[in-house]
Amino acid sequence: MDTKTEAYVDTSALIAFADRSDSYHDLFRRLFADPPRLFTTTLVVAEGHAWFLRRYDSHRGLRFLSLIEAMEPLRVVATSPEDQAGAIAVLRRFSDQDLTLTDAVGLHRMASDNVEVCWSSDHHLGLTGVPLVIHRY
Amino acid sequence: MVRTQISLREHEYEAAKEEARRLGISLAELLRRSLRSILPTDDSKPWMRYAGMVDSGDPSSSQRIDEVVYGHKD
Repeated sequence: MDTKTEAYVDTSALIAFADRSDSYHDLFRRLFADPPRLFTTTLVVAEGHAWFLRRYDSHRGLRFLSLIEAMEPLRVVATSPEDQAGAIAVLRRFSDQDLTLTDAVGLHRMASDNVEVCWSSDHHLGLTGVPLVIHRY
Repeated sequence: MVRTQISLREHEYEAAKEEARRLGISLAELLRRSLRSILPTDDSKPWMRYAGMVDSGDPSSSQRIDEVVYGHKD
């Protein structure tokens, strides 16, 4: 396991990993099988859980949370008031885009933490110039 | 492959057959997938047992999360 690089994990990477129908499933299955250090936010976890609740049911929602608990290389960071302020600035900068607050917090954290790569299939996460991992393979 | 025989309750059998039909796979394949989702895989990477835990049938599911979570615009 790579101990130097830290990648940001967006909700879409987790859903692609969990959903075998997704066109990026095989890619994220390979990536998560040998991951570098990873981080995400509590908002991403909440969004992923909500996807399972809306798409399926509470049981699959809990299985998703078990996935998060089991994923040892993944650090889940809480969203601070400073992160929220930074995310609102991102939302204002890209006000012509349908960005969610979850996306904006991710974009803000990637910039503030100098993250080199974003694990996402959502092109919104590439708005600030951080390369999306889907373009590397 | 090892052949084996199991007993199911009638309603479990019917539900499993219906799910297999929906996914376009055999009942045996459905049961193999179900087993893989609960059996330990690589103990050093316990999260890998959740890979492919659902089969939405939507190849764009990871790009349509906002629609599911936040809904459509009117």
